[in-house]
Parts: sequence; structure tokens; C-alpha cells
Amino acid sequence: MKIVVCCKAVPGAVTEVAVAQGNVLSYRSQFQSMNECDEYAMEEAIVLKRQMGGEIIALTMGGITTQDILFTAAAKGADKIVRVDAQAQDPRAASIVLAAALKTLGADLILTGTQSRDSLSSFVGVATAQQLDIPFAFAVTAIEKDGDNSIKVRKELGGGRSADVRLPLPALVCIQTGIQPLNYVPPARLMRARQQRPTSLSLADIGLTQDDLASKGYRIASVAPPVRTGQATMIEGTPAEIVSTLLAKMKEVR
Amino acid sequence: MAGNVLIIAEHWNGKLEGVTFQMLTKGRELADAMGVSLEALVVGGNVGGMAEQLATAGADAVFVVDDAALANAAGGLQAEAAVVALRGIAPRLTLVGYTLVGMELGPAIAVRLDVTAMTNCVSVDYVDGAVTVARPVYDGALHARIVLDADKPALVALQKGATPTAELASKNASVQKLAIDVSSLPKRGEIVQFIEEPVSDIDITKADIIVSAGRGLGEASKLPMIDECAKALGGLMGCSRPLVDQGWLPRERQVGASGKTVTPRVYIACGISGASQHLAGMSESRMIVAINKDANAPIFQVAHYGIVGDLFEIVPELTAQARKG
Ligand SMILES: Cc1cc2nc3c(=O)[nH]c(=O)nc-3n(C[C@H](O)[C@H](O)[C@H](O)COP(=O)(O)OP(=O)(O)OC[C@H]3O[C@@H](n4cnc5c(N)ncnc54)[C@H](O)[C@@H]3O)c2cc1C
Ligand SMILES: Nc1ncnc2c1ncn2[C@@H]1O[C@H](COP(=O)(O)O)[C@@H](O)[C@H]1O
Repeated sequence: MKIVVCCKAVPGAVTEVAVAQGNVLSYRSQFQSMNECDEYAMEEAIVLKRQMGGEIIALTMGGITTQDILFTAAAKGADKIVRVDAQAQDPRAASIVLAAALKTLGADLILTGTQSRDSLSSFVGVATAQQLDIPFAFAVTAIEKDGDNSIKVRKELGGGRSADVRLPLPALVCIQTGIQPLNYVPPARLMRARQQRPTSLSLADIGLTQDDLASKGYRIASVAPPVRTGQATMIEGTPAEIVSTLLAKMKEVR
Repeated sequence: MAGNVLIIAEHWNGKLEGVTFQMLTKGRELADAMGVSLEALVVGGNVGGMAEQLATAGADAVFVVDDAALANAAGGLQAEAAVVALRGIAPRLTLVGYTLVGMELGPAIAVRLDVTAMTNCVSVDYVDGAVTVARPVYDGALHARIVLDADKPALVALQKGATPTAELASKNASVQKLAIDVSSLPKRGEIVQFIEEPVSDIDITKADIIVSAGRGLGEASKLPMIDECAKALGGLMGCSRPLVDQGWLPRERQVGASGKTVTPRVYIACGISGASQHLAGMSESRMIVAINKDANAPIFQVAHYGIVGDLFEIVPELTAQARKG
């Protein structure tokens, strides 16, 4: 089984977010890390490989600094690491790039996360499957083999409901957090992984041009803390004062 | 640009979900502002009854794709059926819920129809001739305001609970059954079975007071502190998803889109940032209290009372004073 895990480098401790030229957001951030659910997707890939054999490719799209997460992926167990050298905040553009790269790489099973922490879209996974015209399932909490050419996945439907879905391969599955326990990566293993050279693909390598990455159909007007819609009353004071005020307020609610 | 506002109804087990009525309410407001009609689309197996219900719930027109094959269809086929319907109806603005179901259907439909897609929206309004949405970015402390091009159709996925539900006057809408040959569409998988979580011994949906722990708790060994506080207040302990993912607590304690929807008299969120998927499960609580050391945490957007501080200082104090009575 050839499994490709799409993982995204996401910025942490973001400050100074502003609307920049080209309909994108600029920001400062203190670190980048692998998006949380993508880490879970990586763990699931390792378990599947253990069961079925095959290889794991970790794929990301981003600038050169994002390749750090590929080393994490390699340390966790990816056999091959690939970065498409392109930047696109627009989720639709990201899905076009990933789909083109996936066509080049080929895969039986593609794993993505459910949501990236910076764009909070929950769009790219399913959109990539649609670009590739292959079966998909969102928010998957378990995967098992189901005959030679299909898998059975359990997906969440919300409110404690779920469904078992049979998907013919190749398929794309958006992995939900918690699917496997996250394994700690020892620093020595990470150091060793850093010796690897990621494969770098240009847009031309995957048959795209910069035009394919344009964010179309909208304009980002502003980015700011939301206007408080509720009337949150802030309770201040010493912990004892805060708590006695709070308990008094709690008694008032019916 | 021609075209109406359309909502895609979400349903489960033959019943329309709450988010459907939220979208109807919002859709009505948008359609009126834009001077167009409000349409609803129901896709599924044996959904005729729900279509009739929508016809008197405020939509101007109701479209149905009703085919037994859709009842057990994977997301791919559900989306494809909706796509065929939407190609014919050609709405200018389509609303879906930003729910687990909508997170799968929305992107699938948007890509096929090549419309502008905006997911995870907290608001959608018609301002100066353009559809404008707001959506969280970067952990949700900031909202981007995005203006959609007026000349391109769009799909907007609206957070559950983002807009209120109002009782709308019936438009005695016609229900139009669309003749779509579902069997001719690519199947792309099938649902083998549906699973509904059994009711467990600990039922947080029945609690009068919930004290919920989030990732701010730091480690599992601190959970008794939250549990004791909940008990001292006569309530139950709940939690956010990461605590369940890490195996600290069973799923039955989880509040949110993929957990329980709770409406206690008092909900106290301790060290919970307030992601939309968490809010989806508790925003209707009568009194929401947030304890968080980050004053910008999105949870303060929905809280009635906010405490900016360290939960390890506040929670034990709350337990102590509650015990004194
Ligand atoms: C499809 C899907 C479904 C999901 N379903 C759910 C769901 O059902 N329920 C759910 O909860 N989430 C769900 N999520 C996850 C959700 O998006 C968030 O990741 C999650 O809610 C974050 O949990 P949290 O607030 O506990 O953690 P974080 O976002 O990490 O927040 C921790 C907070 O603790 C605060 N803090 C830290 N230390 C302290 C301290 N000492 N005192 C006070 N405050 C402190 C921090 O300031 C921070 O705000 C879902 C996600 C997806 C994509
Ligand atoms: N630049 C990227 N590189 C690799 N994978 C990505 C990228 N952007 C998004 N993804 C994948 O798509 C999922 C959903 O992201 P999003 O739609 O942005 O919330 C993530 O969890 C990743 O698996």
C-alpha cells in the first residue's frame, strides 16, 4: 500500500496579522509545527504500513522553512519526504497543488487532516479528493483493510453519531485527532532524519503555473479581533472575590 | 447577478437538524436584502416529509432529490446528487452548515461547481451589494472579514449556532421533486452501517451545572481538581476534545460538534480556548463562564462572565467556597 500523508506546517504564537498585498494575510510567528491532525494522520499511516506493508510518503506544500515538519515526519516513519515549493493560503489553490503533486506521486491511500490550525478551513482534504475524482471520507477515527481493493473507515457525523463507510481505493481520508496515540519522537531520531534530503517539486514539475494559485472570487477586507457580540462581564479581583461574585451570579440564573 | 439564495437542509433520521432552521432564518434575511427568493434543497432517501415541512417554514421554493440509494451513500455520491440539482437551480449563494456533515459536503460541492467557497463562517451578510462573511483565522483569536465578488456564485458554510433561529412566516412554497438519475452517478463508496452512541451512565446532557476542562489543564493528573469542583457545585465534569483524544477522559464527557450538545444552567469552561467545534456543543447554555489566562481567547466571545486568570487559582477556590455553601 502506497500511502501519502499531506501535512502542513502551521505557525504558532502568531502576532501582527494584517491583510497584505495579493489578498493574503501577513503575520509574525515564533515557530512552525506540524498541524495537529496531520500528526495523527502520520501515526495512522505508520500503523497501516505495519499491518499491510508498503511505503509512506509525507507531502507538504510550502516555502523552504516548512520542510522542518518533513523531518519530523521522517523521524516518525515516513519513507520519503516531498515538498512542493509553492505558497498558497487559499484553500482551493492548496487543493489544486496537492492534487497535481499526488497525480505525479501516485498513491493507493491519501491521508490528510480535518482542519489546519491557521486557516481553520476544513476544506483542503475533501477538495483535493474531488480534484482527483476519487472517493473520500471526512473526520475518520478508524481505518481497516476491506478486501484487496477497498478500505472500511469509521467517520464521525457529529453529536455522537458515526458511520462505517466502505471506500474503493484509491481514496482520500481526512483523519480526525485521536485516531492513534501520538508517539514521542526522540531528538536523536529527529537529528538523524535531518540528514535526509526532501524531494523538492516545482510548480512546473507538477504541470502548474503561478496563475493556478490565484485566490479567486473574494477580497480579504480586514482582519481583527471580533467585535464582542455577547455582553461578557469580566469579573476581577482576588480569586476569593472573583469566586464569591461568581457564585452570587450563578444563584441568579434559572 | 441572477440566482437566489439556497440552503442545503441537514437532517438525521428523518428529522431536520437545528442548523437547517438557523440557515433558513439567515437565508430569509439575505434573500430579502438581495431582493431574491429563498430556496431549500433536501437530498437523501425518503426525505419527502422534511421537504413538506420546509415548504411551510419560510422558504419560497423547495427542491428535493429523493432516492433510496442516497440513504446509504458515501459523501461522494451525496455531493454529486446535490451538484446535479444545483447546476439546474443555479443559486447565487448557497448556505450549508459548518457541521461534520457540511464539512464533507460543502467542499465537495464547491469544487465541482467551481464556486467561491468560504467555510467556518461566523457571519454572512449582504453589505453594499456584496455578500460579506467573517471567519476565524489563526486559532480563532482573529476574524477575517471577506467580501465575495458579486459576479460569481458562492457557497458559504455557516457555523452551527452562529445565527439565531426565528419563526418565519410560511410562504406555502411549492415542493419540486427533481428527476435525477442517482444510479447513473459515480458511487464512490457506501455506508455499511450507522452507529449511534448508546446513552451512558454519566450523561452530561442532563447536568444542571457543567465544569469543563480544556487543554489548559496541562496534565491528566489535574483532572480530580475539576471533578471535585463540579461535584461541590452539584454538577458534572465535561471536557474539550483534546482531553479525550489523549485518552484522559472517555468520549461521553466531550462537549462539542463531535461530542455532546449541552444546555446546562451554568457552563464553566476552564482552560478552553473556544474553537467553533467546542462552541457548537455549549453555546446555548444559559450562563457561560470562561476561565482563561488569555484575555483574547475566543471563548470570551460567547461567555456571559469572563475571568482572565489561572484556572489553578480559581477552580480550587470555587470548590472551597461552594463546599461552604
Ligand atoms: C471536525 C472537528 C470536530 C471537532 N469536534 C470537537 C468537539 O466536539 N469538542 C471540542 O472541544 N473540540 C472539537 N474539535 C477540536 C477543536 O477545533 C479544538 O482543537 C479544541 O476544542 C481545542 O481544545 P481546548 O480549547 O481545550 O485547547 P486549546 O485550544 O489548546 O486551548 C487551551 C486554552 O487553555 C488556556 N490556558 C492554558 N493554561 C491555562 C491556565 N493555567 N489557566 C487558564 N487557562 C489556561 C489557553 O490560553 C488556551 O486558550 C473538533 C475539530 C474538528 C476539526
Ligand atoms: N500546504 C499544505 N501542505 C500539505 N497539506 C495541506 C496543506 N494545506 C492543507 N493541507 C491538508 O489539508 C488539511 C485540511 O486543511 P484546511 O482545509 O486548511 O483546514 C490539513 O490537515 C492538511 O492535511
